[in-house]
Amino acid sequence: MKSKVLIFFLIGFILYLIDIGLNNDDNKSIYISDQEINSLISAWKSQVGRVPNEDEISRIINNLVEEEILYREALLLGLNEDDRIIKRRLAQKISFLKQESLPNKPKRKELNAFFEKNKSKYFVEPVYSFTHLFFSSDNNSQLRSQAAFNKIPNNITDIKSDPFFLGKNFADINLKEIENEFGNNFNTYFKESNLNKWSGPFLSSFGHHIIFINDYRSGFYPPLDVVIDKVELDLLAEKKEGAINNFIDDVRSEYTVIINPNLRIE
Amino acid sequence: MNKNTKRLIYALLVIPIAYISLLLVIDFDVNNKRPILSVFKMLQKEGSQEIVDFSIKGKVDNFTSNPNKDRNPYYGDLHVHTKYSFDAYVFGVTATPDDAYRYAKGEGISHPLGYEMKLREPLDFYSVTDHGFFMGMIEAYADTSTEVSKLEVTKPFHNLNRPENLTVDSAGQRSDIFSSVLGQAILQPYPSWHPKILKAWLTHNTQLALKTFDYTTHKSAWADIARSANEHNDPGTFTTFIGYEFTTSTDTEGGNLHRNVIFNSSKAPIRPWTRIDSLNPEDLWTWQDALREKGMDSVSMPHNSNGSNGQMFESETFKANAINKAYAEKRMRNEPIVEITQVKGTSETHPLLSPDDEWADFEIVDYRVGSRPPTYSKPSGSYVREAYLNGLTLDFTQQGNPYKFGLIGSSDTHTGAGAYDESNYWSKIGLLDGDPENRGSVPLKKENIERLTQYMEAFNQPISTVDINGRTFANTGFTQWGASGLAVAWAEENTRDSIFKAFKRKETFATTGTRIAVRFFAGYDLSSIDLNSDSLVSQAYNKGVTMGADLMHDGDRSPDFLVWAQKDKNGAPLQRVQIIKGWVDSNSGMPHEEVYDVACSDGISVDPITNRCPDNGARVNIKDCSISQDRGSAELKTIWKDPNFSSTNKSFYYVRVLENPSCRWTTWDAIKAGHKPREDQHETIQERAWSSPIWYIPAKSEVDVIPLGGSVNVIGND
Repeated sequence: MKSKVLIFFLIGFILYLIDIGLNNDDNKSIYISDQEINSLISAWKSQVGRVPNEDEISRIINNLVEEEILYREALLLGLNEDDRIIKRRLAQKISFLKQESLPNKPKRKELNAFFEKNKSKYFVEPVYSFTHLFFSSDNNSQLRSQAAFNKIPNNITDIKSDPFFLGKNFADINLKEIENEFGNNFNTYFKESNLNKWSGPFLSSFGHHIIFINDYRSGFYPPLDVVIDKVELDLLAEKKEGAINNFIDDVRSEYTVIINPNLRIE
Repeated sequence: MNKNTKRLIYALLVIPIAYISLLLVIDFDVNNKRPILSVFKMLQKEGSQEIVDFSIKGKVDNFTSNPNKDRNPYYGDLHVHTKYSFDAYVFGVTATPDDAYRYAKGEGISHPLGYEMKLREPLDFYSVTDHGFFMGMIEAYADTSTEVSKLEVTKPFHNLNRPENLTVDSAGQRSDIFSSVLGQAILQPYPSWHPKILKAWLTHNTQLALKTFDYTTHKSAWADIARSANEHNDPGTFTTFIGYEFTTSTDTEGGNLHRNVIFNSSKAPIRPWTRIDSLNPEDLWTWQDALREKGMDSVSMPHNSNGSNGQMFESETFKANAINKAYAEKRMRNEPIVEITQVKGTSETHPLLSPDDEWADFEIVDYRVGSRPPTYSKPSGSYVREAYLNGLTLDFTQQGNPYKFGLIGSSDTHTGAGAYDESNYWSKIGLLDGDPENRGSVPLKKENIERLTQYMEAFNQPISTVDINGRTFANTGFTQWGASGLAVAWAEENTRDSIFKAFKRKETFATTGTRIAVRFFAGYDLSSIDLNSDSLVSQAYNKGVTMGADLMHDGDRSPDFLVWAQKDKNGAPLQRVQIIKGWVDSNSGMPHEEVYDVACSDGISVDPITNRCPDNGARVNIKDCSISQDRGSAELKTIWKDPNFSSTNKSFYYVRVLENPSCRWTTWDAIKAGHKPREDQHETIQERAWSSPIWYIPAKSEVDVIPLGGSVNVIGND
């Protein structure tokens, strides 16, 4: 009875040794496929314009062998472990794999839920309609605009302002667009100015302005049907993104993240 | 043998005989052996002219038209590559058309090296224009599960997926694949007996005859590009165009003849017309004309004429025939605008062509597009200003003017995201030039010198590094590239239709990435307009013509020119506005050009002897790239008269607006990395804008020009 156990143990040990031997062997052999050599030769050919001679072929193969050896030795030394570029690329590859299976066309219910959750994204910004008097920064705009503003209650037609490059009257434009056209955080003045009243002077990237807002339409949330194609696009994009996040969530629990709690960011 | 068996044998014989005769016919046709019977031609179908509706089902545009008759300037980019371009994929780019449009709308997207690319201010329009040639195919090559990837020629692409190759270290191999793919891929036709050859001939679709080509993959890439454009098109806010790049060249000299083609519709042809269909741009125009007959309008826009070795604006046709009026009209019907500036340099003019223009030495790239090793590109025939002059000369000899185009800029980025900002620049080809060391603006670290030398040696590039004052830099050619440019259209509103119409009437201008805006008018009564009037623009529209248009003669009267330029609100102030005039002497046919400063900043006047603005004193601090705060103007405005006007000379006038100097990207790269800027590079640049010209058309001369030994009758002229 005892000897049987011993024999089993012995056989197991021998198998273990053989396994180590074989694996070791595997680690130190370099297999180069015909395909790989052919592809290198064809790259060579396409560059140089002729087939490489024997010498050159052996050099190509030798380079490949040396590259493989260095690569393996680098792996043995663990040089791949701290390489940001290799890490990023591998992470990218798995992300693409996870993203590839595109989800089906979302159902109405799904769209509705997504829309409700992300309503702020579809908010239609408030818009302003206004006219303005412009004083170019190339021509003493601060003094001129202040003098003009003081004159406004009495006689507006006498004021000599400058033409503004993008025009005098603006209809239904939102704060973002105002900023794009005037610069220098000009849109902030609109929130604090009253309707149907001259306000200013305010400084833009181009000079001083006295503005007169004659219409304001407050922002609103549109019904789903009006923005449905946009919602669908965003939902699909989120699902794509979500595929990776889900995957990460699935496997995250298997990992323990350790960060120095006393780390000081310099 | 009974009757039926005989019939069967006959029938079986007829099939191969008919097939062989058909192949013979094709052979005659393809090799031009003898005139082909037109009846066989009738068997052919023009598959490329089929129009497909790519509009998104159920997509409603909530847009109320609110046109501004004085027009707004809309800023955009009409030259953007994504992963569907054979070379972008090779450069490690995985950005999709959707990513590209999201970037243009202001979202951040990832560079292949991992950092975020984001615009300071969103763009108004954008067009993804991947290479039509082999569109979508490289991805299929790299994916070893596809049928096509089993071919010998696709094997170099397999290596692309090796992780160690997706780094900046793989630059050598990547540029190698880039240079050889064009030549390689078209060398793989099926044998001439193969049914695919017959199919290719019958449908006029040469690419079907290539083993390396898969029509389904190709069409689905194109359909995805069209879908993405239509999905992101948002009338009133953001405009997209379905488009692609026609990547052709001359056969022998590597003369770049690349063009982008955009369509004015949510519909598009079933596939792009590419260099496999024909290398000759005239055939592209024939295709565009045919589509236009069917109600689909398009424009094609040549680019990188600077790297065309004199081929883009030649004074003869692709096949070296004389240019005639029919050619000129066809070219202008299809190519109303030209890309004057982009990452790979600016094509306005060259110091050798315009020795009297102090600003001609601007972002010059002196080698042919895609050449390896970099090979000199001849300036004559490669630059816009000379083309305008040659156009007038051709017109003078009654051959028509094929070079009466307007101007735009664009980026030609291959990462999906244009780099327009000198202070935040990532160049254009992903892994190859995405970091300062590789693009040559920061000295190489020791280990990188060895790496670069090895790679360049392995791939037949003779010189890979350059030593400047004891520091070693990459000599990859990328220092000649730059953060440029933008296309700007004067349109009534931000819609596909309105902006496209601006391209057609050439009411456009180009910038080097800055958001300068410029108005330009000419007429005989503009001096009556008060420059301080609020209705200045509408009066100018009423009394004159604007950029891109013809100004007809009015007896001997000398016209007024009105220019109004506004600075980029985030950029440097304006330094000066210039009008560049070119003309052909009506007596001698001699071409001339002249640069006039017409408005100077800070209230300075133009020196009437030199026609130049005196120095306004604006300076740049190279240590931190700060600029003088108190010099330069927010806007410049003037009415100008040509002091040397002659009413009999064919002439053109265009505007160039110059900002105060600011740091070039090479300087920004260096100071951000804590290095001194490289001594052999321009430390600063002057960002600028160019308007489309206004052409002055004199009264028809009563004199015929008769060349010695020739005749004025050019074939094709009626």
